[in-house]
Amino acid sequence: MKILIVEDEPKTGEYLRQGLNEAGFVADLAATGSDGLHLALHGEYDLVILDVMLPELDGWQVLASLRRRGLEMPVLFLTARDQVEDRVKGLELGADDYLVKPFSFAELLARVRTILRRGRGGGLDSNVLRVADLELDLLRRRVTRGGKRIDLTAKEFGLLELLMRRQGEVLPRSLIASQVWDMNFDSDTNVIEVAMRRLRLKVDDGQPVKLIQTVRGMGYVLEVPQEP
Amino acid sequence: MLRRLSLIRRLTLFFTLVAASVVLGLGGLFMTAADRHFIELDRSVLQDKRHLIDDILASANSAEDLRWRLSEALNHHHGLFARVTTPTGQALFQTEGFPEPDRWLLPEHETLLHTLTREQHGQQQYRTQQFRAQAQYAPESPLVITLAMDTIHHRHFLDDLLRTFAVYALAAILASGLLGWAAVYYGLAPLRAIKAHAAAVTAQRLQACMPVQAVPAEMADLAQTLNQMLERLQDDFRRLSEFASDLAHELRTPISNMLTQTQVTLATPRENAAYRDILASNAEELQRLARMVADMLFLAKTERGVDLPHKERFMAADEARALLDFYEAVADDKDIRLTVQGNGSIEGDRLMFRRALSNLLSNALRHAPAGGHVRIMVAERPAGTEVSVDNDGEDIDPQVLPRLFDRFYRADPARAHPTSDGAGLGLAITKAIVEAHGGLISVTSAQGVTCFSMVFPHSDE
Repeated sequence: MKILIVEDEPKTGEYLRQGLNEAGFVADLAATGSDGLHLALHGEYDLVILDVMLPELDGWQVLASLRRRGLEMPVLFLTARDQVEDRVKGLELGADDYLVKPFSFAELLARVRTILRRGRGGGLDSNVLRVADLELDLLRRRVTRGGKRIDLTAKEFGLLELLMRRQGEVLPRSLIASQVWDMNFDSDTNVIEVAMRRLRLKVDDGQPVKLIQTVRGMGYVLEVPQEP
Repeated sequence: MLRRLSLIRRLTLFFTLVAASVVLGLGGLFMTAADRHFIELDRSVLQDKRHLIDDILASANSAEDLRWRLSEALNHHHGLFARVTTPTGQALFQTEGFPEPDRWLLPEHETLLHTLTREQHGQQQYRTQQFRAQAQYAPESPLVITLAMDTIHHRHFLDDLLRTFAVYALAAILASGLLGWAAVYYGLAPLRAIKAHAAAVTAQRLQACMPVQAVPAEMADLAQTLNQMLERLQDDFRRLSEFASDLAHELRTPISNMLTQTQVTLATPRENAAYRDILASNAEELQRLARMVADMLFLAKTERGVDLPHKERFMAADEARALLDFYEAVADDKDIRLTVQGNGSIEGDRLMFRRALSNLLSNALRHAPAGGHVRIMVAERPAGTEVSVDNDGEDIDPQVLPRLFDRFYRADPARAHPTSDGAGLGLAITKAIVEAHGGLISVTSAQGVTCFSMVFPHSDE
């Protein structure tokens, strides 16, 4: 998956590129709007991450040019100002998502994966999600581990579903709050911690392999831990 | 055009116009009166002469006698001319220098007074009278008598008068304009005083300083209003500076923690795990900072009173239940009973309302003891829809209650940096949201129950 980052702040841009590369993407960096537009037109990117405030051409203009030339790759824009007009403008111009600076890298990565997954379509969904010996049956709303039934509340089920669908991805607390509880603002993160602890108690307690892990400073991930 | 003129110029102009119209009006009246007076005077002189001629006609016994007596009576009057003609137009008598107009208007009336100007003799001006009368010696044929009076000296007098008057009027108008300017200039001195005071106002010196006592009654109001404005500005400005210093203060501790930690870590080579640990700790700290900055921006935006982005009507209890879902785990964990009662509709921004209520709930859950109770109540009141959150817990000192909504205020200074707590902005944000909806927020704490109450006014329709 190729991602183009258009960001004029060199440090931010460089770290974004490194982060995305290490997360398994091929990421290129452009520092100005016109460079970004040039690369985007010729580089066959799957996603463009676009800063709004850019020298030469600003993010809006780049986005508008791309869309005018019929390039429909998803665009995620970064803005320093959390203004409703900015958001509306970006979405009207055909952006797919936005993030307000300062944002956490985990959040960006999660959004990037969401957008790219959306592009591929959810075709490979089956009715049963499986990670190691943990099984989640979407139709019957049942969860088993090692064949043993686990009783979950509706929200715990939703939380586990999210973690399993995106296994191996570190999910930041804010994304979890927004996806599971529809809390689209900076809410009390303590709540996520408590909910996670309770879920973990039901899923991992007494099991030799702990599937749900906390990544300090970033969020939570569900995966089969690698041997150290 | 008038809008551009300064007040002084405008008033001076008005003043001058008023003076000019008064002076010129009076002058015109006076000139007309003088003119009319001269006409009256001339008429009486001509009338006298007519009586004289009538007498002569009545007593003359021949044309010769008549001529001699007329010449005796009229020839020495400077500026007075007479002519007597027979009905056939033959001149019987004529004084010397009788003006010969091209054609006398022949009147049908017995008496007629009118003015003629003879161009060929320069600016000669006459007042004439023409009448018919019978001579005693020949009553059958009436004679036509024409009297003319040179009135040029009247004209000269009036012209002189006009000239004198014009000079006077000009002087008077100029003088009154000048006086008007002076009056306005000095009359507006208080305005300039206010201006000077206003010019001295700077961000550092915002104290109310308009001289209310020193200005006239009409301006005292203005000065008073300006003072109130300055007080409000000063208040806002003080809040703004406090905001900035609060912010700096709040940022200082975490930044200095991170800096120390990072530098200590860098001082000696360490295990990878130690680096990982320090970076994670930094990330946590930075997340808190980022969130604080976002909260501060949200607060600043909401307090600035921007329009609510998405206004809609929604049921408060539905939103409360969604939040209950969210907080369920935490409440369960602490064995706190969390309930929603009543319902009511609110017109406003759903997301902002959720955020406001979420802050209150998170606060209540934090302070309720294990096994306690947190209750959301929604009720329609005359003033609006009331949404209140109460929790069991220790009473809060009444003196502290109003300060709870202050930014960064924490009831317990020892818990200045707890992980679960926000930056101490939650209640301030809730208050700002409620106020952005035109509502009111209050808090009471007594007998082991603390209750936050938000009242959202009914919409106007």
